[in-house]
Amino acid sequence: MMDWIQLNPMTLVGLVLWAVGILWLMPAKHGGKPRSRIPGLVLTAAGLVSFCLACGKPNSELADEVMFWVFGIGALLCGVLMITARNPVYAALWFALTTLATCGLFLLQSAPFLAAATIIVYAGAVIVTFLFVIMLAQQSGAAGYDQRSGQSVLATVAAFVFLGSIAMTLQAEKLDIEVPPVPAVAAVAESAPAAVGAMSGMPGILMNLPTEEPAKPPEPGNLLSVADADHPVGNLKGLGRSLFGDYLFAVELAGTLLLVACIGAIAIAPRREQGVL
Amino acid sequence: MTPEEQRFLLVGAGLFVLGTIGFLTRRNLILMVLSAELMLHGVSLTMVTFGKMHQTQEGQAFTIFTLTVAACEAGLALSLVLALYRKSHSLDIQLWSELRESDLAGPTPDIAAETEKPVDAYENIPKLTPAGIVPKDPPRTSSSSGAASSGRV
Repeated sequence: MMDWIQLNPMTLVGLVLWAVGILWLMPAKHGGKPRSRIPGLVLTAAGLVSFCLACGKPNSELADEVMFWVFGIGALLCGVLMITARNPVYAALWFALTTLATCGLFLLQSAPFLAAATIIVYAGAVIVTFLFVIMLAQQSGAAGYDQRSGQSVLATVAAFVFLGSIAMTLQAEKLDIEVPPVPAVAAVAESAPAAVGAMSGMPGILMNLPTEEPAKPPEPGNLLSVADADHPVGNLKGLGRSLFGDYLFAVELAGTLLLVACIGAIAIAPRREQGVL
Repeated sequence: MTPEEQRFLLVGAGLFVLGTIGFLTRRNLILMVLSAELMLHGVSLTMVTFGKMHQTQEGQAFTIFTLTVAACEAGLALSLVLALYRKSHSLDIQLWSELRESDLAGPTPDIAAETEKPVDAYENIPKLTPAGIVPKDPPRTSSSSGAASSGRV
């Protein structure tokens, strides 16, 4: 603990500044008019910058560096503005900006399909639905319960202790993982049909197979999901192989889940004969 | 773990924590659901980073499933919010604090004092009609009442 503080003072300073900024920005009525938001914004921005500065200096290119700073700081700052917005419509719009910034981070982590899908699903569907519900339910404008927040000090302190412990774990421990060597294309290609055959083959056929091949210890993980030279991480073909090869059953389950949620939403939502909202 | 991956993980953790704070402090039902979606963003970013660290597609595949579940959750949560709004004519979560366990403390007094309850709230809540026969008191003998009183003392 003390070693971590001595080694990474910037992280701790950033966390504290950030937490104080959030507490300042939290909606709370003190007598008359709400307090100014500018000191809270300055505190939050300073905390965010020193929090992200504390992660060491990666030797990446300048463009990557600039994009990380824009998207990372943008995501966190828009998130802070979202949870402290006094008007729920503004909160939904800040959430849309957070989604866009997160999609930029996805792009930096070589996940272009995921970035596109997230933008389509969130900005195209979820935010619009939220805005419709806000317009239905809050036609009278800002409500009294949006001007107050409950237990904000306790919640912020607890959440930032959690974040500090995560940061300490990430920075103190050397989480050096063993990246498996990129397997040759032929190995994956010969093991993939075997996996499919074992999945779909009848037991009788399996028993009739010749057994002269040497007993190899099974390779860990899902073979179709391992990135290789032909399918690097984020490659659309590789992602499709993983989804419809290793996770085919889960894809079917996800489709069923969507159907069930659709039926449930229609059944739960108030109907017209029950009166207008 | 390179500093590059480290800072992506830190941003993901930060998004998760921001969602936690929003979920715990805000009193608007819709903002609580939005904060839960913010937490999901943080987890998605972490999983994508882990997938890149381990050189596998599984992180992104999991994130696609997370996206599916988030879409289902948003639809269901919004229809639930609409159903609750029909009953209480407000999006305030404190109006539903009467659903809490009876041995738990209520909302803090200052919040409870300024929670304005609409006049026609709860008019649509279904009431249970009393059914069956009300059981009579068991006949009391002197010994049982004495045992009960001694037990009570």
